[in-house]
Amino acid sequence: MAGADSPSTALRRRDLCTRGIRLVGKMRSDVIDLLDTYVERQGLDASASVAAVEGVPPAAVERWDEQTGTQRLLENLAAYRAFRALLAQMLEEQREQLGEAGAALGRALAAVLLQVSAFTYHLEELLRLESRSPPSEEGDGPPPRPPLSLFEQKLRGLGVLRELAQWALRSARDLRQLAKPSPGTGSAPGLAESP
Amino acid sequence: KNLKCVTHNLHKMTCTWDVSSRRRHGQTDICYTTNDFPPLVCFKTKEKKVEIPVPDSSTTMTITTNSISGTAFATKEFEIHKKDVLFVPVTPRILSLTPDFSTSTINLKWSDNGSVFPNGLDAFWQIQILRKETMEKVTEVTYYSKLTHEDVILSWNWTSDMPLECTSHYVKIRCYINVTQFVGLKDWSDWSPIGVIPGKDADPSGSGVFPLDTVVAVGSDVTFCCVHEEDQNITTMSYGSKSYPMIQLSSRSYAIRVLNASASDTSGTNVVCRLNNGMMDGTVLFVGYAPDIPQDISCETPNFLTIKCTWKPGRPSGLYGKRRTKYSLFERKSGKNVSCEVNEMNRERICGFPVLADQKTYDFILGVSNPIGQTESSLLVDLTQRVHPKTPEKLTVSGSNSTSIHLRWFINGSFTEIRLLCQIEISSGHSERKLHNISMPGGKFSSYTAQLNALHPYTKYQFRVRCSAADHFWKWSDWSRVEEHTTSEA
Repeated sequence: MAGADSPSTALRRRDLCTRGIRLVGKMRSDVIDLLDTYVERQGLDASASVAAVEGVPPAAVERWDEQTGTQRLLENLAAYRAFRALLAQMLEEQREQLGEAGAALGRALAAVLLQVSAFTYHLEELLRLESRSPPSEEGDGPPPRPPLSLFEQKLRGLGVLRELAQWALRSARDLRQLAKPSPGTGSAPGLAESP
Repeated sequence: KNLKCVTHNLHKMTCTWDVSSRRRHGQTDICYTTNDFPPLVCFKTKEKKVEIPVPDSSTTMTITTNSISGTAFATKEFEIHKKDVLFVPVTPRILSLTPDFSTSTINLKWSDNGSVFPNGLDAFWQIQILRKETMEKVTEVTYYSKLTHEDVILSWNWTSDMPLECTSHYVKIRCYINVTQFVGLKDWSDWSPIGVIPGKDADPSGSGVFPLDTVVAVGSDVTFCCVHEEDQNITTMSYGSKSYPMIQLSSRSYAIRVLNASASDTSGTNVVCRLNNGMMDGTVLFVGYAPDIPQDISCETPNFLTIKCTWKPGRPSGLYGKRRTKYSLFERKSGKNVSCEVNEMNRERICGFPVLADQKTYDFILGVSNPIGQTESSLLVDLTQRVHPKTPEKLTVSGSNSTSIHLRWFINGSFTEIRLLCQIEISSGHSERKLHNISMPGGKFSSYTAQLNALHPYTKYQFRVRCSAADHFWKWSDWSRVEEHTTSEA
């Protein structure tokens, strides 16, 4: 079990967490704007219920407060890597289906993808801070499955964006939890211990 | 009694009869003579039918029914006239029934059994398409063919008004042959055994909304269906934002009918089938226009290396991405074909084609197609008459004396096939602008020069130049940048 951090590591972690919280907050507002555009451009019903998106761990988690800091980071990392792959696929599908006509939606999607990639890198930085190398990405993506129909693609896109908005909320809470100084010592505990 | 004779091939006929007595009987003795062939032919049979030749005029047949012990207990003689013989073609057999789900088309193949009949007879084939569990007749068509004394495989296509996945489609066929020289009675054959194209609702795990992601022309009537699993129910089916009344096709398949579909948004119009478990299934319909014939097609060369064709697309198709309207430029003489990269969002369309060695005239066909239709436009071009040079570059001015100057400029391109006409614009201070025309042989990626005289000494001038083809003028190039020069003092 790692002992308490050195002051510089704790400072570095708090800085990364603070910037991460800001990044994920901006991402969430962009995702919500994008959701409105997406629903409108895809002719969907905003209240449509969508099945869970295959390959993305749900943002909702039981016994959230009992998670260690490392668990939080690893789950966040897995989720945002999945979102990065799914958003890239959505972007490709947009180009194929709409071409130039979908340029505006494409740009908005690309912007969110960029933020997801940045936040993924951010999470990896936090893990490296704890001299813990982020898990490799080989074989991470969802198993290949038959191509989705266009309507299924539209619904999946809606599901991805909704889940991403939920994850942004959760990530902010996780990072706030990580940034908290442990009681008494005034410095943030090692990730393994922080509940 | 009730002797009836039926022939399927005009050569042999099968005669059947009833026995009125209720007594149990054994074998039957048959004797017949056809007045065309005097000898009597006799034989025994256990059945109440017999196959004998079709007479040219008539046949006399004696039927003796024997008891179980073999003693005759009833004898009757029949005169069978050819005009009483019934000709019924052999029941047709469906050779293949092939669905094309992408076009909702069924292809039916069957043999006409023509080898049995003389050449040239007219044959009529009645084909019925049935649907739903109730086997509702959807359509009945009569197809005509001529027999050729050979067995010919006939083929017929039918396009359904709804996707074939929606519910099972059944097909049966029967035939009537107009044997003009046969004096007997004629009738339709029996119906063939039924052929079936199973719908998704016949597949226990089948489900979905159909047609899947298809493209139709504006104004089309489209039938959509939702096939659901056994334990589900459909609550609503909508097209775009509007719910439609549902038509039941089977216990697991319901349809809606959209009439006169209007153009869809860029991402298509969603057809959504809501189920009682809260889930949704759906498909997307793209409604657009077939491509318009390209207007104002024009081709020119800026440099005798490439040919640039432009045109106006006409009415937008309303289709985007991989369903967009695609253009290709085909040159008939060389057989070369180029596909054009076109941005569907901007109005002007442009396509490049390489200038081919030793080819001055180009016979272009601009092909245009999208999933709804295709069209084309053609244009014959003599390249030397369609030169639109690039802007002259690197204009330099040098003064040889106080009243004359020397201009030099460069034009990107190979103009060895033509003479160039260049126009030099001279302006200075308040005086009026003057134009000086000069023509010269075209060069290959070369510079061009001109000398201007009769200028005023110690005067500041602005010069610019543009060029075009000297013979067969088409378009001026753009003006070069302005170059300033002050003549030396006298």
